[in-house]
Amino acid sequence: MAGTSVHAVGQEAESRRDFLKILTISGGVIGLGAIAWPFIDALGPDADGNAAAHMIVNVAAIAENTAIKVTWAGLPIYIRKLTAKQIADNEFVVPESLPDPASYTDRVKPGYESFVVVVGLNTGVPCELEGNDPSDTRGPFDGWVCPCDGSVYDPLGRVRSGPARKNLGIPRFTFLNDAQIQFG
Amino acid sequence: MSTDVKASWVSARLPILAQAQVFFTERNLAREAPYLGLLPALITAALVFMAASGLVLSVYYNGGQGFSSLQFIDRDVSNGWLIHAFHETGTTMIFGAVFLYLFRGIFTRAYKAPGELVWIFGVAQFALLLLVGWLGYTLTDGAVSHWSLTTSADDATLLTGIPGAVATWFFGGPAGEGTLSRLVVFHTVLALAVFAIAALHYAGSKAIAPKVSGRQAVGFHPYYTSQYFVALVVFALIFSVLVFFAPHLGENPLNAGPADPLIVPAALTPPWYLAPLSAVQSVFPGIYGGIIGVVAALGVLFALPWLDRSGPNGRAGFVYKLLVVVLALDVIGLALAISAGPSAIAGILVLVFTVWYFLHFLVLTPLVTALEAE
Repeated sequence: MAGTSVHAVGQEAESRRDFLKILTISGGVIGLGAIAWPFIDALGPDADGNAAAHMIVNVAAIAENTAIKVTWAGLPIYIRKLTAKQIADNEFVVPESLPDPASYTDRVKPGYESFVVVVGLNTGVPCELEGNDPSDTRGPFDGWVCPCDGSVYDPLGRVRSGPARKNLGIPRFTFLNDAQIQFG
Repeated sequence: MSTDVKASWVSARLPILAQAQVFFTERNLAREAPYLGLLPALITAALVFMAASGLVLSVYYNGGQGFSSLQFIDRDVSNGWLIHAFHETGTTMIFGAVFLYLFRGIFTRAYKAPGELVWIFGVAQFALLLLVGWLGYTLTDGAVSHWSLTTSADDATLLTGIPGAVATWFFGGPAGEGTLSRLVVFHTVLALAVFAIAALHYAGSKAIAPKVSGRQAVGFHPYYTSQYFVALVVFALIFSVLVFFAPHLGENPLNAGPADPLIVPAALTPPWYLAPLSAVQSVFPGIYGGIIGVVAALGVLFALPWLDRSGPNGRAGFVYKLLVVVLALDVIGLALAISAGPSAIAGILVLVFTVWYFLHFLVLTPLVTALEAE
């Protein structure tokens, strides 16, 4: 009788010790994690870099048929507002007839179909494209041309002819509202 | 069973794991180590913390614009203010522990044979930490630290011979555009050298620790790990209270402003950890005086094992212990007097306290220890 009770007390002490051990270890791990977090967090992007990486651009002031150039992530980004004629000319082009097949809806954001946002670098020889201003040389498709190798792009940034074989890249961006887009 | 196989597989290829296990579990340590005996371990832990926070700061710090890059860290870097406060308060914690370690060593006569070398490593670590601390202080590029750097670098250009060559190499001429950028490198490299001295200190103190075996001996784990854990928690608690409630403890408030080469602040007082040495240094006149002051103040600490004349078995007497307490008050007095800013009374007090400091080590220590040993 006495022996069993001692045994029971021993087991209880054992489980209590196990519990304390687990509690101490988990408390220690949580504490170490809490200490480590500011160090890891501080090595992430700072406020300046973060703001630059998520740049907001006002697109309300862009006139029809022109494009503005902004620099984001070290790249020239062209933001172009299409005319009704340019939309009509390009809307029903059969994608398979193009060097790099892409439909009209692939190149614009739903709801904001008159805005084209592309990386303004030729995909062949990396050169800045011409054609942002209506008075610039724009080529037969009223889009952009490359002054270096003569590649021709349409207003949606799809390659139509020339040494380049790929469409212009589209950066990561979202429309915040009718007037603002945010990159990143 | 499978874990055994795995353990032997790893330990066959990496024997250091088995050695570490022996270190933690072998029962060869004495019971009942005093908590203050853990100070070197706490200093090393704080050094690791300083290395981690220093790493983050060095990512963003720009020696060309020291002050504004610290402002950038405080304002624009995620949790940058916290890392900065960690590094700033970590200095206070390390020097607090080192001062306490030194006074405990003097009080308990830990420097006596066979502990001389361990004591010398401890003092060397203190000396190097003072240099690293001063370099870190200049890196704040504040209104006060700017003048500390400028006068030091200007004085250095007046030195001749070997000291002049070393000083020119160190500062690269008078303080200017690139000085802080080079001092960042020295701050980092010398801080890493402190780890090397800490390792020597550890090896030395392990070698002279009394060997214990049999039933009296205990293993490092769990006997000492739990003690270290408690010590670390108390240390961390004091640390966090200081970080969050007194992050600029013991600093000259004028140093919160940016460096201006055309304006000398009213009081050029150093941070608390440099204050005692700065006070001793200020007593010695001339360009070489400052260097002589530093070398003499640290030199008596290095020489302490041989200034104690009590012999190998001499007991620690009451008068000696009283004198050590007075020495502690004397060093606090030096710091307070120099931190009060320039005044006639402060100048006299600094002189008196400095004289007492050297009197303690060069006259009173040999005399009292020799008398009390008889």
